[in-house]
Amino acid sequence: MLEVRDLEVAFGPVAPLSGVNFSINKGETLGIVGESGSGKSLTAMSVMGLLPLSGGRITAGSIMFDGQDLTKLKEPAYRKLRGGRIGLITQNPMTSLDPLQKIGGQVDAVAMLHLGMTPKQARARTVEILGTLRIPEPATICNRYPHQMSGGMKQRIVIAMALAADPDVLVADEPTTALDVTVQAQIMRLLHDLVKDRDLALVLITHDMSVVAQTCDKVVVMYAGRAIEHGPVEAIFDAPQHPYTQALINCIPKGLSEDEHLTGIPGTVPTVLNYPDGCPFHPRCTRAQDICAVERPAVVPFGSGGAACHFAGAAP
Amino acid sequence: MTSITGTAARALAGFGSTSIGRAFGSWLGKIAGGFLVLLLLTAIFAPWITPFDYAAQDLTNGNAPPGWPHLLGTDQFGRDVLSRVIYGARTSLSVSATAIAISITVGMTLGAAAGYIGGMFERAVMTVVDLTWSFPDILIALIFVAIIGPGLTSTTFAIAIAYLAQFTRLTRAQIVRLKRETFIEATVNLGAKPRHILLRHLLPNAITPVIVVGMLAIGDGIVLEATLGFFGLGAQPPTPSWGAMMSSGTAQLFLSPWVIIFPGVVVAVTVIAVNLFGDELIRALDIKDRIRGA
Amino acid sequence: MTNKLEVRNLSKQFISPGGPFSKARAMHAVNDVSFDLPTGRVIGVVGESGCGKSTLARLILRLIEPTTGSLSFDGDDLLAQPPAAMRRLRADMQMVFQDPYSAIDPRFTVGRAVMEPFEVQGRKPAGTHAEEIDRLLTMVGLNPGLANSFPHQISGGQKQRVGIARALALRPSLLVLDEPTASLDVSVQAQIISLLEELRDDLGLTYLFISHDLSLVRYFCDEILVMYLGRVVEALPDTSLPARHPYTKTLMDSTFAPDPKQRRVIAPLEGEVPSPFDLPPGCAFAERCPHATDICRRETPTLAKIDGHAVACHHPL
Repeated sequence: MLEVRDLEVAFGPVAPLSGVNFSINKGETLGIVGESGSGKSLTAMSVMGLLPLSGGRITAGSIMFDGQDLTKLKEPAYRKLRGGRIGLITQNPMTSLDPLQKIGGQVDAVAMLHLGMTPKQARARTVEILGTLRIPEPATICNRYPHQMSGGMKQRIVIAMALAADPDVLVADEPTTALDVTVQAQIMRLLHDLVKDRDLALVLITHDMSVVAQTCDKVVVMYAGRAIEHGPVEAIFDAPQHPYTQALINCIPKGLSEDEHLTGIPGTVPTVLNYPDGCPFHPRCTRAQDICAVERPAVVPFGSGGAACHFAGAAP
Repeated sequence: MTSITGTAARALAGFGSTSIGRAFGSWLGKIAGGFLVLLLLTAIFAPWITPFDYAAQDLTNGNAPPGWPHLLGTDQFGRDVLSRVIYGARTSLSVSATAIAISITVGMTLGAAAGYIGGMFERAVMTVVDLTWSFPDILIALIFVAIIGPGLTSTTFAIAIAYLAQFTRLTRAQIVRLKRETFIEATVNLGAKPRHILLRHLLPNAITPVIVVGMLAIGDGIVLEATLGFFGLGAQPPTPSWGAMMSSGTAQLFLSPWVIIFPGVVVAVTVIAVNLFGDELIRALDIKDRIRGA
Repeated sequence: MTNKLEVRNLSKQFISPGGPFSKARAMHAVNDVSFDLPTGRVIGVVGESGCGKSTLARLILRLIEPTTGSLSFDGDDLLAQPPAAMRRLRADMQMVFQDPYSAIDPRFTVGRAVMEPFEVQGRKPAGTHAEEIDRLLTMVGLNPGLANSFPHQISGGQKQRVGIARALALRPSLLVLDEPTASLDVSVQAQIISLLEELRDDLGLTYLFISHDLSLVRYFCDEILVMYLGRVVEALPDTSLPARHPYTKTLMDSTFAPDPKQRRVIAPLEGEVPSPFDLPPGCAFAERCPHATDICRRETPTLAKIDGHAVACHHPL
């Protein structure tokens, strides 16, 4: 359905993204996981064609969507896709809704724009979608303003807007970061059900490995603008090949055993202005050797995944 | 144990080394800033660069048009306009700067106290301040001068009082904003006394927008001084002041327009330069949001 | 074991003043909270937004005055202390704040920030200033060369370490940590937690650890207090115990494990945390609780101990 190959992105002289590869099919959930500055949000923006808004451009690679290369698409055609066949769920529901417009109108607008519905038809569709998202009394809610709703409710409205045009792909950029844990569980359950019921492809961008473990089928791990490992979720957690993935999983507290001991990864995540040469992780890697500082590792295939490491497959 | 002046000096030093540099960075900042530096140097070195004694009259050469040796002409008494304009810079700048300095000192004290203490005290101070805020600064200055009498001292105090409200409001707004910052809570948590919090944290962080607004206020102060001077309420003869020069020049408007034009142009350019540089400073320091509400 | 902290019936009420269009309303950010913090232990306070955990942290340090209740620190009545005595006592009870970006005065260098406690309390360090700065920065794993750097020049994790160094400068015995790693990346969070563990062992500290992350609390703490809308609904004396309060159970179920083999099919909790203003009578959780009955809507349950494990519920699990 959606396949990204060798994507590279630049903002002026700075190249925050280089070498991103992933693919996703209908009914699948792909998790793109990384810490701050890893380039995961940029990847979402690239797929949505929103880079020019902040001054960026795609310098290499392709984004194949249903046979079309989106990198070659002009803005008017992109606009038809965006919000239509590819929906975006943004990070902060507090700011993604127009505070001056009633909820109903905002969701109606999507169906009217992308599906050519009349206001009446759009409203009926809106009420139906809000019901699917388990929003109580959808007809009444349509007449409320965003500030009258809680965070979790607002996020459901944002999801409704993404669904209104009957998309094939949903890109969710940290959809639950700003929400409480119990609300996060609700929203993730909702998204899971949507993927199953509507055969959607969901690209879930997050920094939380636990969320990935709970909800995703495939995983892409990003670090310093590169996809340094990818694979099915069980393989990633059972037998991570890249030292960063291994270290990252070890950083997560589970709190279930007395013997557990967190140490963290020494050093800090590099900013886009000082990506290290060679392998971007080598300054913090316990297994780094001379070659790691010089030569950027290519992705070594492993099972149905792969890791970009000179020593992928070695025991941790 | 450092004093308030030490704190202020350190704050200014830190501020001066980074942000003014950045304001000079843009071309507009360079031009405006350059002009102001030029003006300042002119005022400082006035005794050495004026071609003539500003008070020297030469009745045989009254109303001479610009040329040589009087580059900007002479007024009705034969006094060199250029020299008077240069000395006028001294008057204007020193009066305005002194006035604003007084205004900032008193205003910051009042504003910091109001913001920090809060409650009824804050309400009382801000009500009085807001009342004066609603008067045009010229009116306040005129009232003050009418009570005390004309002259440089009263002009200075009149200008200081006219802008007091502005600095009090601005400082109070900063203090109220800063009080909510985590590092203030952290300092309270260390067991700090209010004096420590005010002098070490609140005032040093509040001072930056105040200094910048002070700069812009100097521009306003120059206009105010010129206005008072125009009405004969400012510097008394023979001390030259741009306003007084323009005033006396009106009688001779068609005879020797240069007597009005040159001081007028200098006032306008100075105020424009001050405003441009001040804007560049605000941009360079990125404190637009802190100044807006005050 | 003596108690470092004894909290009894602590409450904080906030009043939202009315206007021409609305009545004044009151809410309890913290409502009748009681617990003991034994010396040398680590107690975690866990809860979602609006539960009052941050307010509780500030009440304990008397950064906010409680409306009712009592607070004793090392046996001394904290609320009876006059301002000067309270200021001196603060040296012994410090806080590490949630947001490292605003916890340090942006105009202070790192060195000045960690030495400020000495200046404030009028004490002198054992050695010279420079030696003390070195000692403090090394203790938190920072390069002493950072002493002349400004906060905006160092990373979030480094800023948080500076905050910890400052908090420990005067060797307090109690450290209250208000979500100290919430704004940090996972890899940095693990570093900071590891540091805090070391420091606790080396310096014999007592911690009160506030967080919304249940896994982290389970890992780091000895006991757990679960808060909901200002009240403690459950107090677990051991982090491996199962939940007895329905809310705690939901919290545990909603906390995903980093292991795809442990996926859960959860029946997520419906609704969201109600507004703390105009709470209905009875148990605050009743409207969302799958086990609620009549009595739950009438009578507020009190915290009752069963084998050392306290729950505030009419139908504990």
